Order: sequence, then structure tokens, then C-alpha cells
Amino acid sequence: MFRQALRWRLAAGLFLAVALDTATQTLWKIGAADIASDVSLWQTLDVLANRTIFQVVGVLMLVKLVNWLKLLEVADLSYAKPVTSLSYVTVALASVLVLGERMRWQQVAGIAVVVAGVWLISRTSPADHDAPQAAPDAAAP
Amino acid sequence: MTGTTLGVLIVLVCTVLEGIAQVFLKLSAMSAARAKDLGAAWVRRYGWIALGVAFYLVEIGLYTIALRILTVSAAFAVSSLSFVTVTVFAAWMLHERVTRVRWLGIGLILGGVTLIVAYA
Repeated sequence: MFRQALRWRLAAGLFLAVALDTATQTLWKIGAADIASDVSLWQTLDVLANRTIFQVVGVLMLVKLVNWLKLLEVADLSYAKPVTSLSYVTVALASVLVLGERMRWQQVAGIAVVVAGVWLISRTSPADHDAPQAAPDAAAP
Repeated sequence: MTGTTLGVLIVLVCTVLEGIAQVFLKLSAMSAARAKDLGAAWVRRYGWIALGVAFYLVEIGLYTIALRILTVSAAFAVSSLSFVTVTVFAAWMLHERVTRVRWLGIGLILGGVTLIVAYA
């Protein structure tokens, strides 16, 4: 049985994974916008190592890895990984709200389709050992 | 082989590396959950993490090369296939039960992500 405490841990872990991914991607975009497009790969790596914004991104990535490992202790990989695709939605929204980018209607439709996909996956059992309790869908052949 | 084909192939290799790296990270989490002998469990756990991170580093290097050939939106759209490779590797190597509903959800996510990045 997938206990209530584990469900909360799973929900908190997934929320944190999406939030950290959104923060990482948004900061990365802000930092990358200041790098000239004609610099060499080594110059790019030098910028990545020395700018504060990329150091913050590095720390966030480390926290993301730790959170991801804790998350995988309570959820299947084939459950957790697709759910984190919600970060495509939150990054797109953050691009509009924080960076002032514009969104096309096709992207809004894409967001709706991603959310529908994640909702479907959230209806399946988070982990194999929970299958008898919370798996409303049939097993694939 | 055109530059675009090469770029797409490199990103496809990246999605496979992502699938393998994620399996290693999951194996790390599983060895932590089943730990009895703490010393051996520690070696296993961090061994899997090191392997996973090593695969990620190779993936980042290859992806950086691909980004010099493809546009960001094209590379992003192809890389969303990692949702499929991760699920295939989880089913094959970790024997996770992937239901039809879960596959349908992944299909929708692929379509949605493609729409988001294609019009970015």
C-alpha cells in the first residue's frame, strides 16, 4: 500500500523537481542572453564557470539531483520522469511573466496537451508495489 | 549525410544516454531503499550515481555539439523523445509495469512539448 505519507513525499518531490527545473531553466536563459553568439566553446565554458548566475544554476542542479534521487525512492522512473514534463509548461509561463516573451496560441494548445498527458499519468500507480491499491488502468500486453 | 541529419542523430543518441543515466539513478535509489549492509550499499549507491552523472556529462557534451548544428527549438523537440527512451529503458531494464494509460500520457506530452518548442 502506498501510504499517505509517501504520497505527500511524492507530491512534494514532484513539485520541487518542477520548481527547481523552472528556476534553473529561467536563470540559464537570463544568463545565456548575455553571452555573445560568436564566442568559442572554451570561452562559453569560461563564462559558465565564472558568472554568479551560472554558479547559482550549478547549485540548483545539485539540489535537483538530490531531490530526484529521493523522489526515485518512492516512485517509478516511468511515472516520475513524464510528470516532470510540467516544467515545459512552467518554463514557458515564466518566459512570459519574467522575461516578457510572447506566447502563440499553438504554444497555449501545447501546454493544454502536456497537462492532459501528465493528468493521465497521474491516474496511474506511482510505483509497482502500489499496483493493487491505486492502479485504475489496465496493464499493457 | 547533411548537417541537420547529423544533428538529429546526435540528439537521438543523447536521448538514449538520458534513458541509461536515469536507469542508473533509479538503481541508486533502489539500492538505498533496500540497504542492509551499509558499507556495500554506500558503494553501490554512489557507484550508480557516478555512472549516471558520467553519462549525463557525455550527454551534455554531445548536446552542446548538436546545438551548434541545429536550432534550439529543433534540438529541444527531438530531445523530448527522452520521455520515450526513459520509459522504454525503465520497462526493459527495471521491469517497471508501463500501462497503456501511461503510454497515452507520454504520447500527449510528446505532442504538447513539440507544439510548445516548435513555436517558441
